[in-house]
Amino acid sequence: MASSPQVHHDRDADCDRCDRHANLNGDSKTHLPKKPRLSFITHSEILTEFSHHDTSVARINNGSFGCCPASVLEAQRVWQLKYLAQPDNFYFNELKKGIHRSRTIIKELINAEHVDEISLVDNATTAAAIVLQQASWAFSEGKFDKGDAVVMLHYAYGAVKKSIEAYVTRSGGYVIEVPLPFPVNSNNEIITEFRKALERGKANGRRVRLAVIDHVTSMPCVVIPIKELVKICREEGVDQVFVDAAHGIGCTDVDMKAIGADFYASNLHKWFFCPPSIAFLYCRKSPKLSELHHPVVSHEYGNGLAIESAWIGTRDYSPQLVVPSVLDFINRFEGGLEGIKKRNHETVVEMGEMLTKEWRTNLGCPPDMCASMIMVGLPACLGISSEMDTLKLRTHLREKFGVEVPIYFRSPKTGEDGSTGYARISHQVYNKVDDYVKFKDAINQLVRDGFTCTLLTK
Amino acid sequence: MDEEDPRNGDEPIPKKPRVGLALSISGPGPEIREEFAHHQPGIARINNGSFGSCPGSVLAAQRAWQLRFLHQPDEFYFKTLRKGILESRTVIKDLINADHVDEVSLVDNATTAAAIVLQQIGQAFSHGLFCKNDTVVMFHCAFQAIKKSIQAYVVRAGGAVVEIQLPFPLHSRQQIVSEFRKGLERGKANGGKIRLAIIDHITSMPSFVIPVRELVDICREEGVDQVFVDAAHAMGTVPVDVKELGVDFYVSNLHKWFFCPPSVALFYCRKSLISSQIHHPVVTEEYGKGLPMESSWIGTRDYSSQLVVPSALEFVNRFQGGLQGIMKRNHDGVVQMGSMLAESWGTILGSPPHMCGSMIMVGLPSRLCITSEDDASRLRSHLRAYYSVEVPIYYHAPRDGEVGPRDKEGLITGYARISHQVYNTLEDYHKFRDAINQLIEDGKVCKMLLAE
Repeated sequence: MASSPQVHHDRDADCDRCDRHANLNGDSKTHLPKKPRLSFITHSEILTEFSHHDTSVARINNGSFGCCPASVLEAQRVWQLKYLAQPDNFYFNELKKGIHRSRTIIKELINAEHVDEISLVDNATTAAAIVLQQASWAFSEGKFDKGDAVVMLHYAYGAVKKSIEAYVTRSGGYVIEVPLPFPVNSNNEIITEFRKALERGKANGRRVRLAVIDHVTSMPCVVIPIKELVKICREEGVDQVFVDAAHGIGCTDVDMKAIGADFYASNLHKWFFCPPSIAFLYCRKSPKLSELHHPVVSHEYGNGLAIESAWIGTRDYSPQLVVPSVLDFINRFEGGLEGIKKRNHETVVEMGEMLTKEWRTNLGCPPDMCASMIMVGLPACLGISSEMDTLKLRTHLREKFGVEVPIYFRSPKTGEDGSTGYARISHQVYNKVDDYVKFKDAINQLVRDGFTCTLLTK
Repeated sequence: MDEEDPRNGDEPIPKKPRVGLALSISGPGPEIREEFAHHQPGIARINNGSFGSCPGSVLAAQRAWQLRFLHQPDEFYFKTLRKGILESRTVIKDLINADHVDEVSLVDNATTAAAIVLQQIGQAFSHGLFCKNDTVVMFHCAFQAIKKSIQAYVVRAGGAVVEIQLPFPLHSRQQIVSEFRKGLERGKANGGKIRLAIIDHITSMPSFVIPVRELVDICREEGVDQVFVDAAHAMGTVPVDVKELGVDFYVSNLHKWFFCPPSVALFYCRKSLISSQIHHPVVTEEYGKGLPMESSWIGTRDYSSQLVVPSALEFVNRFQGGLQGIMKRNHDGVVQMGSMLAESWGTILGSPPHMCGSMIMVGLPSRLCITSEDDASRLRSHLRAYYSVEVPIYYHAPRDGEVGPRDKEGLITGYARISHQVYNTLEDYHKFRDAINQLIEDGKVCKMLLAE
């Protein structure tokens, strides 16, 4: 799939005008109609699309809250005003059609078998609650035995860990965490730990009922070899596999049939240019899988998760309705979504390497284990010695240097003297080299000034 | 404005002058018309009850919040969001007379609050804290989402449900009180406890005001564990004083009658021994910190509708008499219009004026032959498509032993639920009156009406 980089393009212009690429639009894996395109979005058009961003900030944290271009915000506004103009008519005649259209587009993009498998929810956190609530019922109703195991990664997102506590532990499930090394050097390191955890899960006659696996972990950020892990789960008789892919679509490759999970959730407001907030939850059609339900029950209860999620009481559903407009936006870029992903990946690796070279530190993982985000070791002399330090440093960078970047604390192992702090830098279409230079200069300044985290008061 | 006020920013929102109003139905003045200029013109929008309404100035305030998030979301999350939500919750606490802001959470809508209350009840059944004979009691006319939520959380976990039928049309509060007492008896009939009573403050279809205070007192007398008042329509139509009511849980939508954008609801949970068991179903790292904290962060979302509560209050206070004034004029207006329609059609009102807020049920002529819910739907769609009138229609099936009300030609089985909000005009109700009269004149019955 990958083609050689178009070196004649200015890197800061995500995609310049180029007649030669008239056929390269849309995701070639989908069957969406291709529009003839004579020119791609220009650098200055991209700047305009994101002119609502705070231009004084080096915004290298697309991973946390994502972004949304002005043309999609405008489309959202049209939907909102349509509702406000005549909400009854909207509810009876527009809403369901609009949501169905969005779901159909997503089904095509992610190579799902059937649109029934696609539900739209607020975010991956909601999707996790849906899957885990189902597991909770299974424990309560005796489908799972008390003490059966649920496996999750140590680096699972904090909200998901809490959700597992709320729904699984409280209902009698036994939780196993897969420890993962960081920095990490190869997929094998992850696969080995995962196998060991499954063994622990099956000890004492237990069954492993559910595996919750991140596609791209949040902090520290690493792309997990989920195809392999799902295969192992099937081999080892794990009942259900749920992939938490908050950073999935638009960041890494998302192909439901290739991945083979039972449940897969991805945010669309992070890397797919939707406004806050929308996510899809994919549920593979299978007779052996229990019905999932949305926890906010409406009159649609029992009509299937997709229909339940499409009406959870009066709300603003506009973020779920703009998916077609987002696709239009994406297809203005050379190579469509694949092109964006590729350029984001290449640039974030390049920027990461620029920074580690400058600071004489290391990346948190090899380039092929990252997507559009990468962990960059910070100089040890900054004295990051706790999670609190990372928050303080992050705030300091925001307030004093105009740099927005999340920082991860990595406890040093005995005898090590490497980085205890890693910055998770992101690259999205609006970023420029200057953003990373600004970050580089900020850290260099701190180092020159003999700064350490102990200097920061709460 | 306070320097901490998040509304201070690059674009200060100008303060608008007070709006004086005379009689409710003398029609909205130019300022109100301007505030609701985004409503589709030419529609008799007499259904504020379903989806509510939001004035232009509150929408502008909302947009300002949305742009702040999009501008620099990390800073918004770390520095702005929590303060804004706390401010909204504090405004609500004062409006509803709660003891402490810890008792006030903001959720999307009443449907969400119901899921929160019922999830907790369901877990108690699942974990054996409640017995199989214990019951949950509710009205037969409870909102459909609530009924389904009870199926999903209570019945599934082994709990039993008792539905209390209420007569309709209604003549007095006493009818409700006596049916409620009988219902509680049934709830305890198998020797179980009544673990939860769900009481509407204002029912949806058919719509009338329930004497909540009296029913809550009866619940306490009869040893009901928890009382949940579904007051989706209350805030902005009837006075709300949660301390005086003495309830455990009280939810009211703010996007229906309190001018907030879709969607936000106030959810009051009295401080009690079970407070720590009440959780938002969407779990984050705020889990265990109390429902207000949990609800204030349920993952990345647009929280702007929760942040404009102070702006909605500002809008309300531009009216003569503030919220009280609006409520009174809406009530007087809807009663006046309901009576006008009933008189024109030769029908009746579904309840006496003192049992309604800003909505009232008006009997439809029996000649329309409304004989099913399908007929009611069809009539509603027809009125929307052919007469530009938006109004929900209720079909009341005659029950055994019930002597239904009649007009000159037959049994009245259909009722329209008309609403009155500050943007409504006399013409809206005349348009509806004339539409129905036209249908009668043309000899139409529901089954022959085209829905589109």
